[in-house]
Amino acid sequence: MSSTTEFAIRTTSLTKRYGATAAPVYALREVTLDVERGQRVALLGKSGSGKSTLLNMIGGLDRPTAGGLTVAGRDLEHLSGRELASFRSRSVGMIFQSFNLVLSRTALENVELPMVFAGLPPRERRGEARRALEAVGLAARLDHRPAQLSGGENQRVAVARALVNRPEVVLADEPTGNLDSATAHEVAALILNHVRDHGATLVLVTHDEELAGQCTERVVRLKDGRLMDPD
Amino acid sequence: MTDVLGLPVVAMWQQKSRTALTTLGVVFGSFVLAASLSIHQGVQETIEREAHRSDVLRRINVQSNWSRPASTVPAKNVVVEGKMSEARRTRIRRALANYQNSLGGDKPAALLTPETLRKLAQLKHVESVEPDVSQNGFVVFDGRDLPIHIESARPRDVAYAKRLVAGGFFEGPAEQAAVVHEFLLYRLGVIDEDAVESVLGRTIRIEIRRAQYGPGVRVYLIKPDGTVPSLEETGALAKINARLPALLEKLDLPAEEIELLRRAAEDAPPPAAEEYELELAIVGVIRAASEFEEKERRWWESLGGSDGSIVLPYQTAADLFFRTPSQRERGASSAVLFVNREENVEQVFKQVTDLGLSGQSALEIIKRERLMWLLVFGGMTCIAAVALMVAALGIANTMLMSVLERTREIGVMKAVGAADAHVLTIFLVEGVLIGLAGGALGVLLAWVASFPGDAWVRSMVSRDMKIELRETVFLFPPWLALTVVLFSVVVTTLATVYPARRAAKTDPVAALRHE
Repeated sequence: MSSTTEFAIRTTSLTKRYGATAAPVYALREVTLDVERGQRVALLGKSGSGKSTLLNMIGGLDRPTAGGLTVAGRDLEHLSGRELASFRSRSVGMIFQSFNLVLSRTALENVELPMVFAGLPPRERRGEARRALEAVGLAARLDHRPAQLSGGENQRVAVARALVNRPEVVLADEPTGNLDSATAHEVAALILNHVRDHGATLVLVTHDEELAGQCTERVVRLKDGRLMDPD
Repeated sequence: MTDVLGLPVVAMWQQKSRTALTTLGVVFGSFVLAASLSIHQGVQETIEREAHRSDVLRRINVQSNWSRPASTVPAKNVVVEGKMSEARRTRIRRALANYQNSLGGDKPAALLTPETLRKLAQLKHVESVEPDVSQNGFVVFDGRDLPIHIESARPRDVAYAKRLVAGGFFEGPAEQAAVVHEFLLYRLGVIDEDAVESVLGRTIRIEIRRAQYGPGVRVYLIKPDGTVPSLEETGALAKINARLPALLEKLDLPAEEIELLRRAAEDAPPPAAEEYELELAIVGVIRAASEFEEKERRWWESLGGSDGSIVLPYQTAADLFFRTPSQRERGASSAVLFVNREENVEQVFKQVTDLGLSGQSALEIIKRERLMWLLVFGGMTCIAAVALMVAALGIANTMLMSVLERTREIGVMKAVGAADAHVLTIFLVEGVLIGLAGGALGVLLAWVASFPGDAWVRSMVSRDMKIELRETVFLFPPWLALTVVLFSVVVTTLATVYPARRAAKTDPVAALRHE
């Protein structure tokens, strides 16, 4: 068996159960998955198959009902709420289908947010945020609010926010779902370039087989909360 | 964590209208609190300042105590006859005891006799004892005599001194001197204004001729015009009363009635001679108080000298008063004690009442006024507190609405690394900022409103109480502003605790799905 340090993500019989024990609903059922460092994995499956649930757990947004979960060398099961928050700001970068930007803040301020909670000083985080937005081609949109940006531009801001702290693991949940094809390709390319340049691990949830083929080197399928092709 | 503090400021700025309305509630509550604290401070200081303008707080008015408790009446004097319930018997017995007291059959509790006045003067912390020994008598000057009212005053009394038209006032309490009223001099034949100065240094004679009111058969003269009998009339009456028992035989009455009267006359003690004279030098002449002086007078200040009066130093007047045996026995009607310091008044007052006397002190009145004002202030503060509580409820509601509206935003913040503590801090800081802004604005508003408020209070006091206040009744010491702001911050922060905890406990996954 490979050591934990070679794997960015390791799940062991990961289970998420909702409802009473008499009639529970399983969003995930005993998912065991290993993702090596720097690997790019696509999670495919129909709606309700548990893709987003698995992604949320890997991202530290949700806790499993049972099973083990290690991400970027951290045993998430044994992290406190504060440690989990720190993990989310430094070790993981999440990109969502609906962008999930703070509407009242500018593009620059949105990208700064993870660094605010990570405790970086203002001058440093401002510089990093500016560079991140320049890297996604939004140097001229720093002071624009989400309502003043197009869908593609908003997703670029979200990508910049997710990658600004150079996380070890990048989690993208249908990042191109709300974009037209041309913009989708641009955004996908941005993510791919960063992941390659920094050796980050990528887990991409998508319905798009073509996108999965373009961005990832491995496909994992889920059905009814279970892995269809276990390692 | 300090970098997180900028987030609530931005959030509040984004919701300007809501923030302004929420803050307005705090402004109102803080305004009421600041105004009530301010006027409490101002009025307290005004009461103290006005009271300390004179020595009224060191003064105790003492009176003889004619009543004795019903329990001191001997049992043999309160036998209740007849068949009745025990409750009624107790009531009748008590009424009978009070009736016995009113007859004066037993000695009263305490009188202001010379001996009692000496005891009072020897009490610890007592500076002076000035009995009210005003009495009626006659004045003889330049061959004329007039009935007069004899009054007493303290040396260097300011109220009298203000009204001197010639000469000066007494230097000591036992000085053998008199100050006469200009109207009295006018009636004594000193007509021209130029002649007034000429009376200074001259001798004036005071005669006391007391009519014999007491047990026995007496003859009195009650004049139809209400004036007191003249010197000659009083002298003639005294002669008649002295010879009355022997004159009864000459009355055209049945023998039994004459016998009845003779026994009544013989049973009574012989009337004591009550005629005294005193010669004093005139050292000053005073005028009547003007209308303005009458209006300006405080209740504890003497106007000084009714028209047609003669004023003596209080010890001189007391010596004259107590030369009369009946007055010596009866004592003065009242006296004024001056205590060396205000803080000793309560102790001296207790000693006075322990002697069986009754009394009042301005300090008691001032204390009652302070208590009354404290109650008013307490009421105002309660209203202010209620206003702030209502504002707090509004804030809690508004913040809960804000948490709901910002659910997705909270989810996003958590997704990018915000801990529960960060979210809690963001919302608590919003509460603190509302409290700070509202408290500060409330204090400022109260300060601004104090100017017209002060003018209104002053005009009301001047119109109704004839007192011209020289200082403002609204005070704003630094501690007041700090207290109000701090209190509003505490209230608003407490109001935000529940919404902030709700926000902190938000599930990020559910929040990100929130529309």
